[in-house]
This record gives sequence, C-alpha cells and structure tokens, in this order.
Amino acid sequence: MGIFIQILLNSLEIGGIYALAALGIILIYRTSNTQNYAQGTISMFNAFVATYIFAFLFNKENKFAWVAAILGMASALVVGMLVDRVVISRATKVHPVSKQIITLGLIMIFLGMAPMIFGTDPMPFPKFIYGSHTILGATISYSAILNILIGIVIMVVLFYMLQKSKWGLSVRATASNEVVARMMGIPTPLITMASWAIAAALGTLAAIMLAPATSVNLSMMDGVQVIALMACVLGGFQTFHGPVVAAYIIGFASNLITYYVSSVWSDSILYILILIVILFMPNGLFGKKVVKKV
Amino acid sequence: MDKKKTERMAKPKRKAGNPYINYIVFGLIMLMLPILVEKEVIKYSYLTIVAGILIYSIVSLGLNFLIGYSGLVSLGTAGFMGLGAYLSAYLTINLKLPFEISLIISVAIPMVLGILTGLVSLRIEGYYLAIATLVISEILRKAFGEFTAVTNGFSGKSAGFPKLLNGKVLDRNSTYILIVVVLVIVIMITHNLINSYTGRALSTMRGSEAAAQAMGINIYRYRLLAFAVAVAFAALAGVLYVHFIKFSHPNTWTLLLSLNILAVIIIGGVRSIPGTILGAFIVFGIPDLVLKNLPVIGKIDGIPYIFTGVLIIVVILFYPAGLIHIWFNLKRAIFSLRKKGGNDSE
Amino acid sequence: MNSKMLESKENIENIDDDVVLRLDDLSISFGGLKAVDSLTFDIKEKEIFGLIGPNGAGKTTAFNCITQFYKPDRGSVYFRTNKGEVENLVGKKPHEIIKKGLVRTFQNVELIKELTVLQNVLVGSHIEFKASLLSQILRLPKARKEEIRLRKKAEEVLEYMGLHTIKDQLVAGQPYGVLKKIELARTLMCNPRLIILDEPAAGLNDSETFALIRIVRGIRDRYNCSILLVEHDMRFVTDLCDRICAISFGKLIFVGTPQEIQANEQVQVAYLGKGDE
Repeated sequence: MGIFIQILLNSLEIGGIYALAALGIILIYRTSNTQNYAQGTISMFNAFVATYIFAFLFNKENKFAWVAAILGMASALVVGMLVDRVVISRATKVHPVSKQIITLGLIMIFLGMAPMIFGTDPMPFPKFIYGSHTILGATISYSAILNILIGIVIMVVLFYMLQKSKWGLSVRATASNEVVARMMGIPTPLITMASWAIAAALGTLAAIMLAPATSVNLSMMDGVQVIALMACVLGGFQTFHGPVVAAYIIGFASNLITYYVSSVWSDSILYILILIVILFMPNGLFGKKVVKKV
Repeated sequence: MDKKKTERMAKPKRKAGNPYINYIVFGLIMLMLPILVEKEVIKYSYLTIVAGILIYSIVSLGLNFLIGYSGLVSLGTAGFMGLGAYLSAYLTINLKLPFEISLIISVAIPMVLGILTGLVSLRIEGYYLAIATLVISEILRKAFGEFTAVTNGFSGKSAGFPKLLNGKVLDRNSTYILIVVVLVIVIMITHNLINSYTGRALSTMRGSEAAAQAMGINIYRYRLLAFAVAVAFAALAGVLYVHFIKFSHPNTWTLLLSLNILAVIIIGGVRSIPGTILGAFIVFGIPDLVLKNLPVIGKIDGIPYIFTGVLIIVVILFYPAGLIHIWFNLKRAIFSLRKKGGNDSE
Repeated sequence: MNSKMLESKENIENIDDDVVLRLDDLSISFGGLKAVDSLTFDIKEKEIFGLIGPNGAGKTTAFNCITQFYKPDRGSVYFRTNKGEVENLVGKKPHEIIKKGLVRTFQNVELIKELTVLQNVLVGSHIEFKASLLSQILRLPKARKEEIRLRKKAEEVLEYMGLHTIKDQLVAGQPYGVLKKIELARTLMCNPRLIILDEPAAGLNDSETFALIRIVRGIRDRYNCSILLVEHDMRFVTDLCDRICAISFGKLIFVGTPQEIQANEQVQVAYLGKGDE
C-alpha cells in the first residue's frame, strides 16, 4: 500500500511536470501550427536565469526561491515574446516542415548561448519547501505535494481561461482557422505571441520543479522534451486536454516501470510502449480523425 | 521585362553532357589533399577536418534525399550513424571480421531498425517520423552508454584503420582516399535516384499527396524507401567515421549532431547535391577552420552552435533555396549583365 | 457476409457489356450531413458524361468516393477494368485505382511546381515503370530503355495537346489554362478506360473553353475511353456531354441527354432555383 501511494504521488508530481511542458507545446502547435522542439531548451535557459537570480540576488537563501522562480518565469515570458517577434512571426508563409526546422535552429541558439552566459557547470536550485510526512509507510514530501498542487492549479486556471475568457476564445479561434479568426477582428499575431510567452513560462516552471532533483544543467530538459512531445502524440494534437491527460498517464507508467522492471531502461521501455500504442491508435487517445479535402 | 524574367527562370538548368564528370572532378580535387599535406602546404590536422566534412556530406546526402524529396524530417540521424560506427568497431575489433563484411552488416542492421521505425511512424502523419526518430535516437544513445560489452560504455570504443579482405591494412591517407571514393559513389547513386522515376514519384508525393495517390504512387512505400536510404547513408558514414577517427564515444551521437546535419541541408540547399557539399563545408568546416582561429570569439564556448542556429533561421527566412543558389544567381546576374551590355552596343 | 458477396457477384453479372462505371446506391455523410445520398447511375463505353448540380451538391465528394479518396458509407462502385472484368472499387486504396484504368484530375490543379512539364506528364505513367530500385540506382540498360520509351510516349501526348514547345519548362509560372492542359495530358499516360475531370473549364476564358470541348472529344476518340466530368458552366456541359446527370443535396434528380436535362422541370428548380419560393 505504502509503495503504491509513493508511486502514485511520484507519478502525479512528474506527470504534472510533463503536462506543463506538453501544454506549452500544444499551445504553440495550435496557434503557430508547428511542433516546437525548442520548448525544452528555452525552459532550461530560463531555469538558469532563475538560478542566477537566486544565487546572486538572493544569496541562495531558500526562502526567496519562489521569488527567483517567478522572476525566471517572467524572463521566460519575455524570451517567448522575443522568439515570436524576431523569428516566428516572420515565418508565417514558411512551409510547415521549415517552421519545425526553425525551432530546431532555436535549440542550437539557446544551447550555444547558455554556456556563454551561465557557464557549463550544473547549478543547484532548492525546493520551495522542505520537510516530509509519513503516511502508511509512504514518505510524502511537502515539496511534492506543493508541486502537484501548483501543477493542477495552473492547469485548471489555464483550462478555465481557454474555455471562458476572451483570450481563450481567441486562442481557440486562431487554432481552428487563423485566416478566418483574423478576418473576425481577432489580433492573431498578438495571440500567437502570447502563446509563445505562456508556453515558455509553463516550460520554465516545469524545469524549476525538476531542478532540485536534477540540478540546473544544459541537458536537464532533454528527457522532459521528448516525453512532452510523445504526450502530445499520445493525447492527439487536436485537443488541449488530451496531451495533459497523456502526460499524467506517461508519468504513472514511467514510475511503474522504474519500480517494477528496470530503472536504467525505464525511459527506453516507456518510449517503445508509447510507439506501439500510437501504432494502434494513430490519432492518439483523444484525437479525432481528420478528413483531408481534395 | 517581367515576363521575360519569369520565362528565363522557368527554363531548367541545361544538362551538361555527362553530369558524372563534375562529381569525378570534385573527387579528384579532394584526392589532392594528402599530397598537399605531404608537401606541407596545409596543416596535418586539416586532413582530419576535411575527411570529417566529407563523411558528414555522405550522411547529409541521405537526409537531403529524405527531406527534399519526401518532405519528411528525421531527428535520429546521429543515432543511426552511431549505430553503424559501434557495430563496425565491434565487428572488426572483437570479431576480427574484415572491413568489407563488417561494412555490409553495419549498414544492414541500422537499415532494418530504420525500416521498423518507419513502419511504425510513417503510417501516421508525416511529422510523427521526426518524433519517432528522436525517440529511437535517445534509446540508441542510452544503449551506447549501457551495452558496455559491445560499446565499452563511456570509456569509448576504439577501432582501427580498415583491414581489407586480402589482409591489407589501410593507412591514414588511403583511408582518406576510400572516403572520397565512397562519397563520389554515394553522390552518383543519389543523382541516379533523383533522376529516376522513383525520384519523380517522391517529388510528386511531396508536392501533392492527392496527385501522387491518383497516379498510383503508394505513399507509405515511397516514404519508407526514402527513409531507408537516409538511414543507410547515415550508417555508412558512421562506419567510415569510426575507421578514420578510430574512436567512438556515446556523447558524439547526440541530437546536436543530428541538428548539425539538418543544418547542412538547409543552409547549403534542399534538393541540391552541390548544395549539400557546400553546406557540409559551412557547418562542419567554418567553425573548425575559421571561427576557432579568430581572436576572442574563437575562445568562447557555444559560438559554433549559435553560428549554425542563426544561419538555419536566416536561410529559411530569407534564402529558402539555400546558399548554393547565391552562386547560381551570381552567375545569372553576370550573364544577364553581359547580355545587356551586348545589346546596348548594337 | 456470404450473402453480401453473392449479391455483389450477381450485381456484377447484371452489368451490361457496354457499361464502364456503375454507381450503385453510393452514399457518404459527414457529421450527419448526407453529402452523397444513394447515388446510382451508369456510364457507357466511349461516353462523355456530365455531373451537374448547384454548389455543395456533392459532385466532388462523389468523385472522391469513386476514386476511393473517401470511403463511402454504403453502396458500390463497379468498374470495368482494363482487363474487361468488372470490379467493385470500394475498399481499394486510392493508389490502386489507376491500375484498374481509372484516372482523375483535380479541382485545384495538383501539379508539381519543381518539375518540368514533361516530368509532370511522366508521373502519369508511374504504374508503367517496372525497373527495380537497383537498376535505377545503377542506371542499368533496362531502366534507361524504359525511361526513353515512356519519355517518347509523354512527348507524343504533349505534342497532341499542343504543349511540346514548353515541355522542358518548369510548371511553376505557367498560365492557368496551360496547367489545366498539363493535368489533362498527365491522365493520358496510363491508357485509361475512364477519365474523371473535376471542373476542367473552371478559370478558362471563352476561347479556351471552346478549345477544350474539341480536345476532350478528341481524347475520347483517340484513346477510346469514357469521360466523366463535373462542371459549372452549363453551356460547356450541354455542348460537350452525351448524357448528363443532375444532382442536388447528394441526391440524383434526373439523368438524360442535354436536351432532356434542359427541358426537365425538376432540374430547372434545383439548378436555377426557379419557382421554389
């Protein structure tokens, strides 16, 4: 029982991190019509920003970790906007494949800038809260609970806004048909820019949640990026909720495999399992079949 | 005037008598290099850099065939290249197989793996291939680190210069010659494929899936074929790499290498053989030959990545046909100037 | 299952020798909307057959069902293949259809911009190419001979269509009327028994439309095939077609000669919207 609770909690925590990253990717996919491969790298870059603020502005005092995190997310908003303004907004007429490749180019740029600015050494980032409690033999850290809650709250707020707010309506309209949305007076360039900004902030939050376990380093988000992309495939690129649910499922599966099968090969086994599921469900768990017009 | 311009642009490049001649001439020029090194005209280490460029040209030709003619992106190039490298190192060092046999096996196994990946991902929308290959590449990299019996883990795996069937062992220069010969053969194969009905079928598929299907082109099969070619060239390049550099480390075969190879094609010119070679010289040559020798900048980590990343984006946004077309455009501009001058004097 | 197969076999035997294509109860719906509803008609050998109807009547959808780009919900598409046997096309893959002798054009001209006119037309004979991958890679004599033979055929087709002067130009930048002709030329490369044309006259000027009538008739006579076409231009359809089928909201209204169609009141109401309100 204790084991199971432990696995469940771990899954919810890591699943939330995957879900935040996946949500960022899907938000960009829906408004800019491209898979953003640079999501993880941009997140890593801004996690470094947060860590630097934490180390040099707050003298590594743990009680200011959350301020540093928020400032890191703010820098992510700016970076996201810049990326859209400087690059993506100029690429509206570019072939979808080329657009994907542009995001791959962004990986190289951020991966080149990070060591120039922050050096190549990994840096620690603290948990927001320390301490733990034992229930039924399961050790529940407060940090895990907090991360789970933050993840859920942010996603609930975001989904509420997507469904109910004017911004959400504009995003959904842009997603369903960019040209028509623009003709209806929706400022689609602004919506796209906002999506890039929010996506970067979501990814950065995911990176900061992950940081206490991995430290902040150049490759910290590589695995998360791959899994977030797979969550989008598994959940289907057509909905916002699909990838989020898929991210939690993957988080759960990953913990089960790590515990019961192999910790070294857990990611590889997980990847292969997902590929097999996709083979049988090509439109994802929640995706709709798209009829192409000829 | 405008109409005239479009007419001229619509005219395809005239086929020179035998296109192979250009490729063979290129090969011969590349073969001069070891002589120049011996005459101490150029540095010893440059031969290694150029050999690397030529090896990466081979991979890039495969990826260019995939992207340019089928519109699919693979992010697993480095993984398949690494697989070829490790297999050949293992087969020649541990199993003592001659180079030729090792080469065949080391290309065949990645191809089988590639075809399996393709079978799974290509049934679905095209962009799933990018994600599936990214995943396979991650799994392979994990395997390079963990299967120590074959790969020697993070200590890295050593290999030697090719030892041929007749027992002869090549040296550095003759291995370099082998690389040039293989590259020229690969160029010719690519040229023939592009100009065959298979090439036309792939172009059609990329331009219009509907037209392709209506004309009887089995999209699934042709996508698989294009991907298999890309994997085969990657594995082949991996084999050459490990027998020239004589070493393979898991950290060589990362996503960044795959991205660099992608950059070669985008920067040089999609659907262009000379563009691919030019791109390889820019992406793998300029950082080592030029950037590193610059004062101040050369000392900063990460400059090559930024250089390549920025170049990718700039080329896509402002020069989508690739930098090779600067040359064509220049030639055309000079030609039209001369013509104009001629008209004026009349 | 068995009875269904028997039924379908019986249906096949009931088809007269001079019928090339029979739609039988063809239906497809998108989200509850019946785009094609129990459509049934025959097309005979060497016939030029027009499908007309107001916008959104399901004409192109019917084409897509025939060529298997869409999977019909119900009904059959019987086709007399090049071998003279009748087959139900439903359930076949889109790329298998051309091998049976049925080839189509598209509403929004689907040509490949980066290829030359000749290369685009050569794609039409894709199924005629037999050389193996290896002989293509090595340019063995077999592959070279095949290429030369079919290139000659393509040149003949281009000559016939009056396009041979531009055969080595790229498709990109050609005027719309020429693109339509190239696409038509592409369909002639596979020895078709039935050619389906989706709005062949759309975007053409009067003289081009007039010329197209002669070209389509000429193709029918020269290549001994039937032609099925969708078109909005009523005059073009009545001038060209032997028989016309009018549909509205996916349903068949009337099939007959151009004269009969023009005289039919239901067609007038559906197509021209007369007297309804």
